Amino acid sequence: MRNSIARALDGLTRGELSVLDALVVAGQTTDPEVAAIVRAEPGYVAATLARLRDLAIAWDSPEGLRALSGVGDAMVGGPDAGVSGLRPRSAAPRPAAEIAEVLAALPSGARALLEHVIAEGGTAKTGSVRVGLRPEDTETPAELLVAHRLLVPGGSLMPGLLVVPGEVGLVVRGGRTTAEPVDVAPTVAAEERSPRLAASAALGAATDVVRRVGLLLEWWGTRPAAALRTAGLGVRELKAAATQLQVPEAEAALIVELAHEAGLAGTRADADGNPVWVPTSAFDEWAELSVAERWTVLARAWLSSPRLPSLVGERGPDQKPWNALTPELSAAGMPEAKAMTLAVLADLPEGHGLAAGTGLPSLVARVAWERPRRPRTRPDLVAWAVAEAAVLGLTGADVLAPYARVLLAGEDPAPVLAELLPPPVDHVLIQADLTAVAPGPLEPDLARRLQQVADVDSHGAATVYRFTPASVRRALDAGWTAAELHAFVLAASRTPVPQPLSYLIDDVVRSFGRLRVGLASSFVRSEDEAALAALVNHPKASGLGLQRIAPTVVVSSLPIDVLLLRLRELGLAPVVEGPDGVVRVGAPDALRARTPRTREVADAARAAARQAAQVVSAVATLREGDEAARSRPASASTAGGGVLSALREAIERGGAVLIGFTDNQGVVSERTVRPLVVEGGQLTAFDVDAEQDDPDAERRYAVHRISRVVPVS
Amino acid sequence: MQSDKSLLLEVDHPQAAECRKAIAPFAELERSPEHIHTYRLTPLGLWNARVAGHDAEQVVDTLLTWSRYPVPHALLVDVAETMARYGRLRLEKHPVHGLVLASSDRPVLEEVLRAKKIAGMLGARIDDDTVAVHPSERGNLKQALLKLGWPAEDYAGYVDGEAHPIALAEDGWTLRDYQRDAAESFWHGGSGVVVLPCGAGKTLVGAAAMAHAQATTLILVTNTVSARQWKDELVRRTSLTEDEIGEYSGTVKEIRPVTIATYQVITTKRKGVYPHLELFDARDWGLIVYDEVHLLPAPIFRMTADLQARRRIGLTATLVREDGREGDVFSLIGPKRYDAPWKDIEAQGWIAPADCIEVRVSLPDASRMSYATADPEERYRLAACTPEKLGVVRDLVARHAGQPTLVIGQYLEQLDELATALDAPVITGQTTVKERQRLFDGFRSGEIGLLVVSKVANFSIDLPTAEVAIQVSGSFGSRQEEAQRLGRLLRPGSPGPDGERKVARFYTVVARDTVDAEFAQNRQRFLAEQGYAYRIVDAEDLTGA
Repeated sequence: MRNSIARALDGLTRGELSVLDALVVAGQTTDPEVAAIVRAEPGYVAATLARLRDLAIAWDSPEGLRALSGVGDAMVGGPDAGVSGLRPRSAAPRPAAEIAEVLAALPSGARALLEHVIAEGGTAKTGSVRVGLRPEDTETPAELLVAHRLLVPGGSLMPGLLVVPGEVGLVVRGGRTTAEPVDVAPTVAAEERSPRLAASAALGAATDVVRRVGLLLEWWGTRPAAALRTAGLGVRELKAAATQLQVPEAEAALIVELAHEAGLAGTRADADGNPVWVPTSAFDEWAELSVAERWTVLARAWLSSPRLPSLVGERGPDQKPWNALTPELSAAGMPEAKAMTLAVLADLPEGHGLAAGTGLPSLVARVAWERPRRPRTRPDLVAWAVAEAAVLGLTGADVLAPYARVLLAGEDPAPVLAELLPPPVDHVLIQADLTAVAPGPLEPDLARRLQQVADVDSHGAATVYRFTPASVRRALDAGWTAAELHAFVLAASRTPVPQPLSYLIDDVVRSFGRLRVGLASSFVRSEDEAALAALVNHPKASGLGLQRIAPTVVVSSLPIDVLLLRLRELGLAPVVEGPDGVVRVGAPDALRARTPRTREVADAARAAARQAAQVVSAVATLREGDEAARSRPASASTAGGGVLSALREAIERGGAVLIGFTDNQGVVSERTVRPLVVEGGQLTAFDVDAEQDDPDAERRYAVHRISRVVPVS
Repeated sequence: MQSDKSLLLEVDHPQAAECRKAIAPFAELERSPEHIHTYRLTPLGLWNARVAGHDAEQVVDTLLTWSRYPVPHALLVDVAETMARYGRLRLEKHPVHGLVLASSDRPVLEEVLRAKKIAGMLGARIDDDTVAVHPSERGNLKQALLKLGWPAEDYAGYVDGEAHPIALAEDGWTLRDYQRDAAESFWHGGSGVVVLPCGAGKTLVGAAAMAHAQATTLILVTNTVSARQWKDELVRRTSLTEDEIGEYSGTVKEIRPVTIATYQVITTKRKGVYPHLELFDARDWGLIVYDEVHLLPAPIFRMTADLQARRRIGLTATLVREDGREGDVFSLIGPKRYDAPWKDIEAQGWIAPADCIEVRVSLPDASRMSYATADPEERYRLAACTPEKLGVVRDLVARHAGQPTLVIGQYLEQLDELATALDAPVITGQTTVKERQRLFDGFRSGEIGLLVVSKVANFSIDLPTAEVAIQVSGSFGSRQEEAQRLGRLLRPGSPGPDGERKVARFYTVVARDTVDAEFAQNRQRFLAEQGYAYRIVDAEDLTGA
């Protein structure tokens, strides 16, 4: 019950909440009485009461109009949330005139205290205030207020508190619940924009966002983006996407999120089993749609998305930067913030956009008035909604685009948008520098085919393609023939095909396929061409999968051991050739099975073998130790002050020493070094051991960690 | 308008010319093939437009007016923001503190002051908006500020330099309109770069600039031959006499009111110092002319940084630098003051049209084998110098017998071989200057019809009679070189007896399926982007081409 009341209240404007607040203050009442105590147009109050009745927040009890019980408790927040701070009226309120008379006679201190209590929510702690005195016996302003029944004990509902009855508060506020009118929404600072600029900016952004989402996903389709463990997108991947899309990272984050929200991007495992971001199968369907339809999909996804791409790159509570596509990066209030923001923009006069500078704060204030009970991060949410709407092309120069208006009305914006978009062109202009310029958005089919045969040089409303040997080769790989390529460029180009392009195609075709790669398991080679011919044509060779690829080479799909046997069966005498071209001769393996043994014998044999092995290894270890001791440099280890002097001596000598030292992990190790200088308890030395990897391998060692210094020659 | 900030202009559109005019001030022409020209919005281009007095609103409006399709809002915002960056900081002359860096935008000034690279160049803070600048750091500061993305506008003015009367002697010839425009836009802008195609008469723009300056002038050129040409041209076209013009090169060291020095001599280093730096202080120069500014070597940039109080004019056919130091040209020499597309000037008849043909020869199997097994660094030389080219060159020369022809190459042995086979004189770096002069003069006068030249002839050598160039090898894929070599052919010759103008022929002979062909592709692309249609023919089909 409480939740549903709160939810109903969340949907009210500040004005509506103020009327409801007045209803709570008034207790059981009538419509005219509510209208009398709300500082608003009577019409507004009547309409609001009707709405409250519709929502069943207010109802007509037999005794009169009243708010649903529980509403009073649910009315939280200050004046910003439409809460006047007045307590409900007493069951039998004193007439206003009588209260006014008492108030007029109050000394200024008591009056100030009363106003203070009202401003603080209408209650005060009883404390040492004595209750039940006559006015002339009171000693403090509080006691005087109590004596005049301007403050009354809270009773069992609010023990220990003194309460200003609603009727008193009303008189103090001049008969109304608030000092300010409640039915006036803050105006949004707007200014007129050139319609051409606004339309151009919005359409430009709308086509760009569609293009970029497509570009991103096509790119991910060929080069998937690594996903983080949290399923987010790493900073490096985002940077790469931003570069690819030629947008700042913040905008790239929005495009990435948009692609995901529209269901066009998802994760899957790559060949190594790591999660990667790739386009979904829905992307293929989406890519088939017209630009306007594609935009509609994206815009709808954005409107209902709780994601906060604007936070990407900012630091979260744990001081780590937020990654795009991180699941936590969303706020339930975001879709509402977007809807409210756009609704307010939709209310602006035709051709008006947010004023520069003051527009955004006033928009925030307006949204705050519309939905006062969702306060916390609203300024940010609204600002992000405005910025993101501009990127999506819902607005241009902060003016709501006509097709966005249709979208907000719940209808299909695609036809309206399609009307405004430039018509697709069906040709390109090919130039001698091997570029093909599409002077506008290309028809999807042509664009797709052109993308196969040429690289994209620059994107935008128009597209510049460039033919390169690599791109032509790619087309050939995709199955195009030279004739098809020539015919295609001829048909697509409105201008004569420049000679260098025709030449390029022929040139690439000429070298295409010069190297051939195939799959074979084994080969047969012979200097005797006739022998090979005989083999290939042998009636029993059909099962060998033989293919003659050169006069002296035949390849086979059979593995080498099988082929060898079969060739021998055919009465031939092949030998095996190793990778180095050397002939390997070997008698064929004769088959043997393992000799079966009894268990005991096996165990005894194994034990004996184990023992023998242990002895051998123990002896070897001992000998190695002896050997090492013998080969170690003669002089004994040095300790304490001996270390320092030994190091100094080595420095003077310029010779190398073997030092034993304990590292930070407590591991004792040895290095052969050439000491350079001892200073401040630190030895700087040239690490002879590391010399091979790093010719100037200077290392520092703490002298107190060095346990031994042994000169080596 | 594309998302990579390039603009596509459909040339065949009836309004194309009008549109080109509208976008030219702020967009750099990147490619101009036959149908669609590509312009690009770059920060430098937008700042150049600011210098020329265009504001962001005009630019945005132009883009919206001329764009066929909606322009993404973000791009417009970006344009406005970029343009707003220029001029937030100003270099000014302060009556008390001398050179100061001033700003109306305090946060920008703060940001800049905090940059480590800048700190050493600035003096005391004078007030909230002004900081003193060490005068010697004027150039370095401008360079550093550009790197930070806050280019400063230089209001600090110039010293006049030592006055010296110079006038154009327009007897029997006049400055072409575009040359006059170029010189004037330079003069009004203070310092900057004039971009004109090869053969369009950049020397005269320099001379006109000198006539404006009326002061002693230092001219920096690429090499000695070019220095001589400058001298001849100045003597012929201005009131200057031979005695007033000095040459400062490896052989002669004269310092006169107008001195022409080569990059090479200035950048010669001895014992870690540049002994010829004194040249810059030798006189109170009023104007410094940088010929072929796209080739300006790094040490000259450093020296130029110290010359910010003098007027500077850069002359070039293209601002594209293979080393990407366009920003240094912008900050140290100055913004682009004048630019005209090649094709426009060609259409006006000031440079000759050209026909570019790539001839592909197939390597014989033996050569292919040695190519395939060669070290990668040897491959280009092997492919470029294949003897197969000799026959093709011989055919071509025979075909154009009677037309002055240049055979250009990179490798000396190859050139020598060609020269012997063709029985033609050869000019390389080893040829003495005197001999070079003699051969060039002979070529110009028509005595010599065929010259084999190495890359020494790439630059600034005026051979107006050349009609055919055959390129057999080059510095890998250098587009720069391609432009220069083609430029050799573009000086318009006098119309033939039938009134027909000469059409230059530019052949490139490359070996098929080798890096030679790959490099050629790179260079060809540049030609195509300049609007020169080219054809590729196989050597075997040459007879039909």
